[in-house]
Amino acid sequence: MSDLDKAIAQLRACRPIPENQVKELCHKARELLLEEGNVVGVNAPVTICGDIHGQFHDLMELFRVGGDVPDTNYLFMGDFVDRGFYSLESFLLLLCLKVRYPDRITLIRGNHESRQITTVYGFYDECLRKYGSANVWRHCCEVFDYLALGALVTGASKNLESSETSYTDAGTQSSIEDQDIEIEILNSNSEVINRFPRSSRDSQLPPKSSPLSSPILDTPSRIGPVGTGATSSSGGSRSNDGGAVLCVHGGLSPLIDTIDKIRLLDRKQEVPHEGAMCDLLWSDPDEIDGWGLSPRGAGFLFGSDIVKCFNHKNDLSLIARAHQLVMEGFKEMFDNSIVTVWSAPNYCYRCGNVAAILELAEDGSNGGYIPRSNGDLGRKQEMERDLRKRDPPGRRYRVFEAAPQDSRGMPAKKPVADYFL
Amino acid sequence: MALVTPPSNERKRVKVYELKSNDWYDRGTGFCTGIIHNDEARIFVESEDEPIRVLLETRVAKENGYQKQQDTLIVWTERNTVDMALSFQESDGCGAIWDFITEVQQRMSGLTGQDDGLSDDVIDSLHPIILPPPELGNLQDIENVMRGANSTPAGRDALAKYAVEADYITKLVPLVEIAEDLESLSDLHRLCNIMKTLILLNDTSIIEFVVTDDVILGVVGALEYDPDFPSHKANHRQYLSDESRFKEVVKIDDPNIKKKIHNTYRLQYLKDVVLARILDDPTFSVLNSLIFFNQVDIVSHLQANANFLKELFGIVNSPTADTPRKRDSVLFIQQCCAVAKGLQAAARSQLYQNFINGGLFQVVTFALRHPDPAVRVAGTDILVSLIDHDALMLRTQIFKSISEKSKPLTDTLIDLLLVEVDLGVKSQLADAIKVLLDPIQNGQAVENLSRTNSEFLAKMRQNIQTTGQSDSIIQNFYDESAKKLFSPLKELEGRKDLTDLSVQEVSLYVHLVEVLSFFVRSHSFRSKFFVMSEGLASRVAQLMSSSEKYLKLSALKYFRICIGLHDDFHTQQIIQNKLFGPILDLVYETMPRDNLLNSACLELFEFIRRESNPPVVNHLVENYRDRLSGITYVDVFHSIIIKYEELKRVSSESPASTSKGNGATVSPHRAVVNGGRFQGLKDLEPDEESYFNGSDDEDDEAGIEVGGASPLKPVANGASPVRPLVSYTDDDEEEVEGMDVLSTTTNAPVTNQNQQHPAPASEHILPSQPAPSPDRLSEKRRRDEDDDDELGKLSSHPKRRTSASSQGSTSGGAVQQQPAHGHMLRRKKSISSGKDGGGKDGPEKGGKKIAISMPVKIGSGKEDGAE
Repeated sequence: MSDLDKAIAQLRACRPIPENQVKELCHKARELLLEEGNVVGVNAPVTICGDIHGQFHDLMELFRVGGDVPDTNYLFMGDFVDRGFYSLESFLLLLCLKVRYPDRITLIRGNHESRQITTVYGFYDECLRKYGSANVWRHCCEVFDYLALGALVTGASKNLESSETSYTDAGTQSSIEDQDIEIEILNSNSEVINRFPRSSRDSQLPPKSSPLSSPILDTPSRIGPVGTGATSSSGGSRSNDGGAVLCVHGGLSPLIDTIDKIRLLDRKQEVPHEGAMCDLLWSDPDEIDGWGLSPRGAGFLFGSDIVKCFNHKNDLSLIARAHQLVMEGFKEMFDNSIVTVWSAPNYCYRCGNVAAILELAEDGSNGGYIPRSNGDLGRKQEMERDLRKRDPPGRRYRVFEAAPQDSRGMPAKKPVADYFL
Repeated sequence: MALVTPPSNERKRVKVYELKSNDWYDRGTGFCTGIIHNDEARIFVESEDEPIRVLLETRVAKENGYQKQQDTLIVWTERNTVDMALSFQESDGCGAIWDFITEVQQRMSGLTGQDDGLSDDVIDSLHPIILPPPELGNLQDIENVMRGANSTPAGRDALAKYAVEADYITKLVPLVEIAEDLESLSDLHRLCNIMKTLILLNDTSIIEFVVTDDVILGVVGALEYDPDFPSHKANHRQYLSDESRFKEVVKIDDPNIKKKIHNTYRLQYLKDVVLARILDDPTFSVLNSLIFFNQVDIVSHLQANANFLKELFGIVNSPTADTPRKRDSVLFIQQCCAVAKGLQAAARSQLYQNFINGGLFQVVTFALRHPDPAVRVAGTDILVSLIDHDALMLRTQIFKSISEKSKPLTDTLIDLLLVEVDLGVKSQLADAIKVLLDPIQNGQAVENLSRTNSEFLAKMRQNIQTTGQSDSIIQNFYDESAKKLFSPLKELEGRKDLTDLSVQEVSLYVHLVEVLSFFVRSHSFRSKFFVMSEGLASRVAQLMSSSEKYLKLSALKYFRICIGLHDDFHTQQIIQNKLFGPILDLVYETMPRDNLLNSACLELFEFIRRESNPPVVNHLVENYRDRLSGITYVDVFHSIIIKYEELKRVSSESPASTSKGNGATVSPHRAVVNGGRFQGLKDLEPDEESYFNGSDDEDDEAGIEVGGASPLKPVANGASPVRPLVSYTDDDEEEVEGMDVLSTTTNAPVTNQNQQHPAPASEHILPSQPAPSPDRLSEKRRRDEDDDDELGKLSSHPKRRTSASSQGSTSGGAVQQQPAHGHMLRRKKSISSGKDGGGKDGPEKGGKKIAISMPVKIGSGKEDGAE
């Protein structure tokens, strides 16, 4: 596999690999992706990432902040390409990593992983420019058709073990040692910015009706951090199962009421203009009741009732999705039942937003038992047994900014090499 | 005010929209005029149906926040805080009104501080901007003055005016070298800021000026020192001064054209590299349009130059020219064709005509056979742009070859497809074959009809003639070439082991199966006969035993398409050859895993369950009952058995009903499917459904009357009877004002063909939705309009052909593809869609979706459309 490692090294340096290598890579990737279900089963621990959009240097920053592959398990929720100037390098690097460490990285499809969209928003032009022909674009698009439509994360711990790092502000220490941490927000240096214990949620987290339940937006008075070192291992005799998390790029579809229905789709096709597959990649949550028309012209808007009903029916504790720019990098909505994760800092090199990734910790209570890889089977029985609302797993958000400019040179497209006209 | 000239009063057709509860409500279509009355600028729209009715009367005010979006849209907020939009039919009309508004607003802002804008003697010339002399010591002052001026529109105008008049840029340029010599980084950073500001003033004459020979290096030199990247220095000068990048395949004599070529290249470099990070949308589109217009000039100049063309096209056949030169000539032509995509239709036609006369086909043939894959890629690119431009023309060429008994282009392509090793070229070739043999593509000719009356009529005649032509090309294909094309498939017969296929073989089979799937959908009766006589269905089934999963998948998709056609012939092929056996094998093989292949299998059986076509269900359960009931992890298979038992019960209760055939059992179920998106899992496009509904009669008729012999019956030339009809009608209605008579004629030839099988009436009314329930209709309609934002934009993109392969490979994809295109093209031109036009003009890519970029509050905080 030394060729592959070489390719990875070359791509990490932001240099494209030759066309024949791309071809080979895509071929291998296709074999691998074919074996994945429409909804891939993923076991915690995993780090969930949102849109990348060809911002290669920021992807490197993401790996710096979140840990490198294969040390960290990653799940990327699509939109690897378009907009940024290094779609090709970003996508190929992710694909190389996928081929090299198939169990360590999961890629699912975003609405930009489509022939039509990429011809308009930059990836096509970039390939043409970097290789002189559209062949590489074609190979990549072929791979897009094989990407899974979603992922189901199981085995996530309900509570976070406090991270060993210290609070950014050491002055405000007051112990919540015996409380379980539900949400923890870290900056790019792994310093805790904020922390929310689960038990305090009802009283201190933003009111349930608040449309923006992102802890960043409505910050309650700071709760003291855990003393460094001594952490109470969460759980005890209670179930430590944080429930399953569905990850899709866009959101829900009125045609999909159970995750099993997603399995009945033939996904190997260009993203259609409507239908279940389209909706999964295009829909957005919104403050409405039921379903609404999407201003994007594809997919739907869906309200909190839809999310809650879907989560209940499918025994999910959380839906993680990407697809929308959020200035704070992530945004939880509808009583923490759905979260948008956005991983392209300073989007389009000018939006001024920060990015985030979401870490779900492993639930040690299953004693290393690994559920079936498709994650979905066998969950049914359990669902019938236990139909109350599930608490979402503990969530650690790492927020980061665009890569420092010195690390990347000036972002620019590759100029046209030769010209006749 | 007197200085403002009202726009010329030719009437601009426009649709008026008002934002009501987050939806754009259509106030009607009318004609727009801008007038100045009593020193008040007003915009009127009078209804086109009742000229007395005024749809819109609004005073141009400076606080209304006018925005021009894309090329045809003006959006603003009325004083009563209602958001309004004008969607113009023509970008010219939009431009005229926009100019009017901006001019009026400029006058107003020039009058800031005055009571009510009544005095007209205060204009910006009273506040001219004078920059300090361009010297190193003054850079800070210059920067400050510019920053101040840059904040108001009037200031920006004055600044641009001054910079041009004082030839300021030329004077700034020498400072770059001086500052470099002094190693004064702060001065260089200031120079960079100044240069950026000047360029981003977005003044066409400034931008055109900075790329000229004398100043370009100085300008990009200054831009190498970006203060945002203090530790970096770009090397733009080095890049741009490298003369070897310009390949002059044939000497270009005209110095102006040559200059234009260089300047265009520099503009591109500015856009892609120097300014890539800081470009705002207006500057981006200005750059794009400058590039575009330059390219148009260059290409039109070259294609009209007979000597030039002669030399250019002579290169590939010239014994003296060396290989790199031949290669470059192909690449040069490829670039011309790429530029041509953006040309107006008439100019493009002329260009291709001149190229063809020069010997374009020889170049294509030369390129396709070239040992260098890059040249073959260029060859296919040229071919594809030719096809995109006018497939009809190519078909005429093929037809000519056939009648002259020489080798038609399709045969050449088939030969090449069978031996091609470059996978990219291979898929292009397969796509080209599909398009050239696509009977529906004739419909494209009609797209060109609406240009002028006479041209329209001329094309009409041509079209009638070409329908026959296309038919005879397809006939010839099945007579002569199809066997050759599919011979690798046929040769699989008797082959036991498919586990050792090479990459090349696998990709060839994948393409062949995809091409076959396409033919099965579009050439109904000829392909049926061919599939039967060659026994291809069993061969395709054989591929499911190969070890390559994606080959299995293509094979499976072929059967999914066959079943989706609701055609007794194909169903019988599967039943008689017992092909559900291998398909169920595949289910069993993949069953323990949840993977793509398994999902594709499930989708196929889910479709069978939903459609419940009695012969299929009966056959399945009667022959494979045990295997079906052995699959318990999803209930699809069990449901099929239940369906079977229901069918049995029904037929034993009322034996008469079965004699009515499929229709009785199937239709009620379909009606449910048609009802709308909310009716459950469903992957068929309404278009596709309507196609099925429409052709069902045909199939039943064929099945019942002639049984298996239906292939021999000359059914409506095999084309889908419904689709072309739909897009024609729409195009004509909306595009060709007052040409009702003609548009009826347009339909005539098509309708004639299909007289035996009249299409359902609903097809004419609402092409994309066969009989939707009324309450869904309005919703669906709004959706459609929304769709345009994205889809209209996408469809108008010239590269659509490149996506053909994928669409062809989707389940029923190509069935949808054509109507979808027709539909989208119509949308693109149609004024009623109102909100599209984003991609109407190639360079206008930067245009945002209206629904988001309008001052609508719904999208606040979200990112724009395409995310």
